[in-house]
Amino acid sequence: MDKKILFSRMLKSKFFMVGAVLVLLIVLLSVFSPFIVQFDPVTNSLKDRLISPEYFASGLSGHVFGTDDLGRDIFSRLLLGSRYSLFIAAAVVLVAAFIGTILGAVSGYFGGVTDMIIMRLCDIMMAIPNLVLAIAVMAILGPNIFNLIIVLIVTSWVQYCKVTRNNVMVVKNAEFVKASQVLGAKKTHIMFRQIFPNVTTQLIILISQQFGWTILTEASLSFLSLGVQPPTPSWGNMIADGRNYLITNPWMVFAPGIALMITVLAFNFLGDGLRDVLDPKKI
Amino acid sequence: MENTIQQPLIQVQGLKEYFKIPGKGMLHAVDDVSFDVYEGETLGLVGESGCGKSTVGNVIMRLLQQTEGKLFLQGEDVFSADKEQQKEFCKKMQIIFQDPYSSLNPRKTIRSILSEAYIVQKICPKNEIEKRIQKLCETVGIAKELLDYYPHELDGGTRQVVGIARSLSLNPKFIVCDEPVSSLDVSVQAKIINLLMDLQKKFDLTFLFISHDLSVVRHISNRIAVMYLGQIVEIAETDMIFENCHHPYTIALLSAIPKVDVNDKTERIILEGDVPSPINPKPGCRFAQRCWMAREDCKTQDPTLQEIAPGHKVACHYAAVSRKEAKTAKTTILSSL
Amino acid sequence: MENNVLLEIKDLQVQYVTERGTGNALNGLTLTIHKGESLGLVGETGAGKTTAALSVLNLLPKPAGRIIGGEILYNGKSVQKMSNKELMDIRGKKISMIFQNPLTSLNPVFTIGEQISMVIRKHEKCTHRQADEKTKQLLEEVGIPGSRLHDYPSQFSGGMRQRVGIAAGIALNPELLIADEPTTALDVTIQAQILELMKKLKTQYDTSLLMITHNLGIISELCENVAVIYGGRIIEHGPVKDVFGTPLHPYTAGLLGAIPSLEGKKERLHAIPGKIAGATNLPAGCAFHPRCEMCIEKCKSQVPPMATVRPGHNVACFVKAEGK
Repeated sequence: MDKKILFSRMLKSKFFMVGAVLVLLIVLLSVFSPFIVQFDPVTNSLKDRLISPEYFASGLSGHVFGTDDLGRDIFSRLLLGSRYSLFIAAAVVLVAAFIGTILGAVSGYFGGVTDMIIMRLCDIMMAIPNLVLAIAVMAILGPNIFNLIIVLIVTSWVQYCKVTRNNVMVVKNAEFVKASQVLGAKKTHIMFRQIFPNVTTQLIILISQQFGWTILTEASLSFLSLGVQPPTPSWGNMIADGRNYLITNPWMVFAPGIALMITVLAFNFLGDGLRDVLDPKKI
Repeated sequence: MENTIQQPLIQVQGLKEYFKIPGKGMLHAVDDVSFDVYEGETLGLVGESGCGKSTVGNVIMRLLQQTEGKLFLQGEDVFSADKEQQKEFCKKMQIIFQDPYSSLNPRKTIRSILSEAYIVQKICPKNEIEKRIQKLCETVGIAKELLDYYPHELDGGTRQVVGIARSLSLNPKFIVCDEPVSSLDVSVQAKIINLLMDLQKKFDLTFLFISHDLSVVRHISNRIAVMYLGQIVEIAETDMIFENCHHPYTIALLSAIPKVDVNDKTERIILEGDVPSPINPKPGCRFAQRCWMAREDCKTQDPTLQEIAPGHKVACHYAAVSRKEAKTAKTTILSSL
Repeated sequence: MENNVLLEIKDLQVQYVTERGTGNALNGLTLTIHKGESLGLVGETGAGKTTAALSVLNLLPKPAGRIIGGEILYNGKSVQKMSNKELMDIRGKKISMIFQNPLTSLNPVFTIGEQISMVIRKHEKCTHRQADEKTKQLLEEVGIPGSRLHDYPSQFSGGMRQRVGIAAGIALNPELLIADEPTTALDVTIQAQILELMKKLKTQYDTSLLMITHNLGIISELCENVAVIYGGRIIEHGPVKDVFGTPLHPYTAGLLGAIPSLEGKKERLHAIPGKIAGATNLPAGCAFHPRCEMCIEKCKSQVPPMATVRPGHNVACFVKAEGK
């Protein structure tokens, strides 16, 4: 696709622009959080318990979003938590996309028994409720970030596998693949050099959509204390901590809740926007 | 051509290609097809959609695994070749596809598309590839500026020229042209046909030209094979097919083409009904259901290709009388409409 | 003579606005169809054949395509100025259309009987049963057994589907039938059946026909007159016999020379050099001038007007018009 058209479509798509700007902002905030935060997000300081949000009354040196029941600054925890959330999501999405894409490509290209086995595996994975699987794995392996990542990968590679398989099956019947074949090309060459570049668009869209899903699932697992373990902050366990204070000190829940919502929304917008931008059929 | 001793470059023997259709039976896409293609000639393979002509081309290029049958290239058995030998055969046999849109990878530049053959076959050092591509472009007449373009930036005709250039990149002897001009506009089509004929002369190529367009096939072919429902029903020199064909299907096919010349409105034979399904075909002549001169034994006995004149083979029990009966058929069919 | 005119397209200009830029699909197309006339509109990809047909029924894809100039008069009344109700009345009842691909023009979830009788019931006051009865008659008219009324489009072959399309097209006895490449997707022997059918129906129903195709053979088979379209304009217009017998415009001549013939000596085909003028890269002056061997200075800047060279045979070419 022409770069010019791509660029003009990006500017035209509201979803893409809103999503991209928000995502960029969130990533920048989380990357540079050590330079922004003024408080230790982990250590308790009981004398500062449950201070109401000051917002930006005294700049960044005040408790912007207040403090929690153990006197920790919520804004600092929010930013530090975003690093975990984003890191976990990035790790999960990249590894799951890698595994899913390869399995999907193999499944779609070779077909037959290979396809049958991989697809049935996908069906089985999709039949197991994610949460139940997560609870089981965490119960056996013990809850920590590494295991959390493993659980999320196991539950999310199926998406990539199915999408890649379907796209590969369409592309592999194109005449340019046959042309490659009659030139004497090996199967690996055909798969990676000829077919793969034609399925990347769909993959990019899926990855950005899955990002939001992964952050949300990680938060739910952390909420159930099956994910990131306290005192390490995560948006999920921050919401869990604030549960009991919902009536009296609602900011404990609202701050991480809204942050979570905005982040997930940003990635979903980006995904939808990318679909509009990269759609070759749209005039 | 007539003066040289004709040697078969390609020999197709008893080719069968069946597909299993779950719940329905066997689809006989190609059913016992045999023909030779002589060195330097163009054999036209015509027929309507679903008659198996493209399948023949695909099986010859080993894009489909044959169910039965043999293929010889200069006497060498192609189908039983091992992987290394197959890669060698790739250098001698190539194919030009119908759809210039789907035959070029949309994500690759023209340069990258044309360099593929040299990369996979490793026939020349890497630094020579560019030189070879340039030469290829000169041969077929692609402007060098176009090398950095993507396929979608070119029009259909130019894309097809790129497809032709790619098929020539390994200097093949034999090229299967699978409907290379059917998706092009008339004025562009003429350009491609001229190019193909020029290239054939220049490189002494042999073509199997698959098409449904009889006027194109007549123009480019030395001989024509007519296919119906997976079988060759008639094969002869081009002029013979057009002036003195004997299979009732060929006669009907020729009379069905709408002619541009207003003064040339001969009576035509309109075949009734559709082409029957190629799944589990009934015994007997495949054409019997639609044939205006079908008799009882046509429905039970398979006609085989019989030589009725030197180089002219017809698969019809009543080839001897078909032309005579065609004249009466025209009047009866038209009056029944 | 004036009363005889059914459809008049005057200097029609249609523009498409897309991301890749603005395309001028039609650039002053002028065309007249008389009652009972069968006119062939012949042209290559991007010449504006289909756009012309869609504009007549006010069916241009929105918002991309729009009419920026000229007018279309149906029975003396401007189509653009008609109300929605009048338009609905004209579509289907007065003018109906047969599409290239019968598979996509029929709705797969309704039986063909339902689809045709729906059209009948929409425009004519009658009961379900009467509509079904009429549908059955129509199907038999086009060579489909009436018993197949309750079959779905997917149960028919390509040729049969096009017959259904034709049955739907003639259901309301329209005054004008527009056929957009009706046989392009079909095989030669099936195409022959469909052409024979259209010939029969044309005389039987006495409809005017606008046959849009790239196949010159079909035009000469079915039409009395032919208009050649190039770059969104009619460049030659006249009786089929004259236009195909002694073509005037260099493009028409080139087109005829590019078709391999079925008889006579095999000569090298005459390929027209250069690229087909598309909507986005329309040359100034005569759209054909960059590819024309007879091009003179005037052709590069001025659009040649239609000139009558012999009775009924018009051409838009400076060189040919002067040499008469």
